[in-house]
Amino acid sequence: MPPVRLRSLTKRYGTGDRAVTALDDVTLDFPAGTMTAVMGPSGSGKSTLLHCAAGIDRPSAGEVLIGGTELGGLDENALTVLRRDRIGLVFQAFNLVSALTAAQNVELPLRLAGSRPSADEVHAALAAVGLADRHGHRPSELSGGQQQRVAIARAMIARPAVLFADEPTGALDSTASRVVLRLLRDLVDGRGQTVVMVTHDPAAAAYADRVLLLADGRLADELAGAEGAEAIAARTAALEVRS
Amino acid sequence: MISLATARERWTSFLGSFVAVAVGVAVVTMSALVLLSDGTGVPQRLAGAPVLVRSPAGAPAAGVFTENPPWAPERAGELRRELGRLPGVAAAVADRSFYAQTPGSGQRAGERQGRPWSAAALAAYGLSGGRPPAADGEIVVDDSLGHRPGESLTVLTARGPQRFTVSGTVDGPGYYVTDRRAAELAGGVRTIGLVLEPGTDPARVAAAARNAVGADGTVLTGASRDALAPQQDEMIRWIGGQVLTAMALLSAFVTVFNVSSTFAFAVAQRRREFGLLRTIGATPRQVRRLVYGEALVVGVAGAGAGAVAGVVMAPAMTGSLIDAGFEPAGFEVSIRWWVPAAAWALGVAVALAGAGAAARRASRVKPLEAMREAAVDSRPMTRRRWVTGLAAAGLGAACSAGTAFAGADAMVLLVLGAAMSLTAGLTLLLPALTRPVVGALTRPLARRPGATALLVRENMLTSVRRTSATIAPVLATVAFAVLITSAVQTTQSADTTRQAAAVRAEAAVVPRGTPGLSDAVVDRVGGTALLSTTVYGGEGGAALSAAGVTPGFEQTYRARAPRSHDVVVTAAVAAAHGWREGRTATLTFEDGRTRHLRVRAVLDDSMPYQVFLPRELVRAHDPSALADVVYRTTATPAPSLSGLGAEEVPVAVHAASDDAEEDRLVWLFTLILVTITAGYTMIAVASTVLSATAGRVRDLRVLRLSGAAPRQVLLTLAAETCCVVALGAALGLAVAAPALFGMAQGLRRELGLPVELSVAWPWVAGVVAGCLLLATAATVLPARAALRRMRGA
Repeated sequence: MPPVRLRSLTKRYGTGDRAVTALDDVTLDFPAGTMTAVMGPSGSGKSTLLHCAAGIDRPSAGEVLIGGTELGGLDENALTVLRRDRIGLVFQAFNLVSALTAAQNVELPLRLAGSRPSADEVHAALAAVGLADRHGHRPSELSGGQQQRVAIARAMIARPAVLFADEPTGALDSTASRVVLRLLRDLVDGRGQTVVMVTHDPAAAAYADRVLLLADGRLADELAGAEGAEAIAARTAALEVRS
Repeated sequence: MISLATARERWTSFLGSFVAVAVGVAVVTMSALVLLSDGTGVPQRLAGAPVLVRSPAGAPAAGVFTENPPWAPERAGELRRELGRLPGVAAAVADRSFYAQTPGSGQRAGERQGRPWSAAALAAYGLSGGRPPAADGEIVVDDSLGHRPGESLTVLTARGPQRFTVSGTVDGPGYYVTDRRAAELAGGVRTIGLVLEPGTDPARVAAAARNAVGADGTVLTGASRDALAPQQDEMIRWIGGQVLTAMALLSAFVTVFNVSSTFAFAVAQRRREFGLLRTIGATPRQVRRLVYGEALVVGVAGAGAGAVAGVVMAPAMTGSLIDAGFEPAGFEVSIRWWVPAAAWALGVAVALAGAGAAARRASRVKPLEAMREAAVDSRPMTRRRWVTGLAAAGLGAACSAGTAFAGADAMVLLVLGAAMSLTAGLTLLLPALTRPVVGALTRPLARRPGATALLVRENMLTSVRRTSATIAPVLATVAFAVLITSAVQTTQSADTTRQAAAVRAEAAVVPRGTPGLSDAVVDRVGGTALLSTTVYGGEGGAALSAAGVTPGFEQTYRARAPRSHDVVVTAAVAAAHGWREGRTATLTFEDGRTRHLRVRAVLDDSMPYQVFLPRELVRAHDPSALADVVYRTTATPAPSLSGLGAEEVPVAVHAASDDAEEDRLVWLFTLILVTITAGYTMIAVASTVLSATAGRVRDLRVLRLSGAAPRQVLLTLAAETCCVVALGAALGLAVAAPALFGMAQGLRRELGLPVELSVAWPWVAGVVAGCLLLATAATVLPARAALRRMRGA
């Protein structure tokens, strides 16, 4: 069974005349061990989709199933626990707690869960993102790309069912972007990790197995990442013109 | 782990809380240590007697400290004989004293250092040179005065300056003369000291003495002899106690206020961080505990520093309290270890309580907020905030209105209540007030050319939280400073008005360097003298302040004066003792004798004494009574008063200085309170501004990138800070105004005299300027450093 299933997902903001429909009846599966890129123009609902799927925003209607659990039936605490145990999250920026070192940031989810992570475990997680020697550094002493890799290590420490990434390369230069995307790709290929990534960068989307194009809150198009950045860019441009 | 790390990382935003807790705990520790310390202990002149018998206490009254009434002379003689006959007692010696002072040496009002030589047997000190006085013209003095045996010496007594020959010196305070000479000048006996034969057990003698005196006295031994510390010292300690209690209370209020406002701001600034924690799996409960954990770290550290500082500084503070007149000379603070421990615990509790609202707020942050830019504050007002804010403001308004109708006692409480409630209320409502008030006041800015004005206005409007967080401490500082300084001035000027209106005289002759005026001064001036003494009224023996007056009193005060065997009393005293015109009043005098006097008149309570007696009667019963003032009623100026310890001043000056000592204490007290509140809140201002600026580095970068010169950026920030401080000051004045007007109204009604509202503008201006300077510095300096770093990078 796919680790993430969206069923008739709908999200509306506001009420009455000023109501905006950000997601309109979206039904999707994200199969295990695949990397999916979600693209679309601004306001297409791609971020809302990710927020709802990751359980940090509640849909107006429809269902989200993570590993078979329906999120709508969970209270705030249960949802938090599920997020902690089953979902990894990486954002564009502001991913780390600035007061904590890289190692402390990585072990944070386990500590929040009430367990005491072993030093080896944290070391291994940092080593996996190539930052074993940076465990004692604070975020301010790390480059943007390094911070993003620490965030990935943290997202992976609890061995989540799915890793959501919201514009993970949005604030990085192209070299750092390539390192981060390679890392995500390796997680999928090496460990069979399921990754869902929202991006507006066709080059980033080209790393994915599947590219979903959203427009006006609906699934507008779909293609394979293997088709390459240029093909993806052309399709997105077409969408922008249409909307 | 996170709490500790965050407290370390974000120390600027916790600085205000830390300092507030530290200062608060230090003040509470010092105050409590001083309050709980013992008094000055048994006076040295009695410390040599292991067993002391004291006359029974008069009627006790709160806040009134007077010596017990003396025994009747016959009874004192009887007791002395009975006690002297007890086994093991070598001698029973009466402790009697009279006013004596060498010109130039200081002495407090009511102090009497002259004593018969026989009483030297009770002292802890003894003869250090020469021999005891043998003839009436001989005297033994404190060797620290620097006189040697054989020298001639002028001593001021109640009669006037008198010549003595120094026969010897003692290594302790006092002027000792022959018993016969002392008998002419000294009043009644309040204490009999027992000198024991060697090897006698004081406890056994004390038990026997208790049997002998029965209800006619209290027998004191060992540490219980401390009860004989001068009542004046006890009164000073009581005043000191009031000051310290008020200081501790205000500190506690300001600490809670500062901790909650700095924590509220720190939490508001870190919404994204809390959102991040929520997304990666922190439950609301965990976030709440995180903020509490930070408060705990800050509280434990701050309270620890405060407790240590309090213990270290307590002896130094005792010194200043003695100098200021809040504690008697010779007072020593005793360090009890549980006091700083308790103050520490209190500080930690206050930190946790202050952070409570902020912690609840932090736990309500949604995970999504980690992904927002959140520069525009959304919904800063919650329902609960509206309700509490309006309730507190309403209570403050009610207190303000109440001051117009309250009596003098309740007035101070109401004014303080009004200030605290209005401050708390307005602070809670600030986020709602900020937008319309700032918007209206800065509208002209928006029309001006140039970017600075526009940026200032829009920054203040969009960052409601930052603006409010800076306004709040400024508001509190200004409101308290205005209220405390101005309220006192209003009361003071009212007192002066009242007293100047009462007396009709050409000039007043007052003591200078002496506790009072001797007969020699009164004779030379030849006006209306008020001879001050204490009498004990009725069966209970309540102490009353009394004045011996001459017939000229009727002219000077336009009130009826007592004639021989008459007494004039104030209405309050008459009511308390059931005396009426024509009835007989029973009074016990300073020498222990009791007289029955006819009440000639009852005066209103504005008089400076409670009981008025014929001057001769007071002189006969209190040979050491001194006049507080002589009002000159003749046009010719008084002849030279040199060497008599007196000077002539205009009546108005005397009226203003009559309570000078008391006023000085009140003013000092005021300054302490203002300094504490202002000092504290300025720290809060600095801390808030400092962390606000630290959080705006990104804004600064954007401004620089869009073409603003560093100078323009700094100017924008400084202008914004100035506007915010000015707004806070204006709101602070608005908080203080209703209570002040109410108070003036109340005094006007109470006194029936015009009372001008006097605001201590220099102080208010000073406090506002202080806030302005500090806030601007806290904005500009870190911003400049940030701009430098940007250029470097």
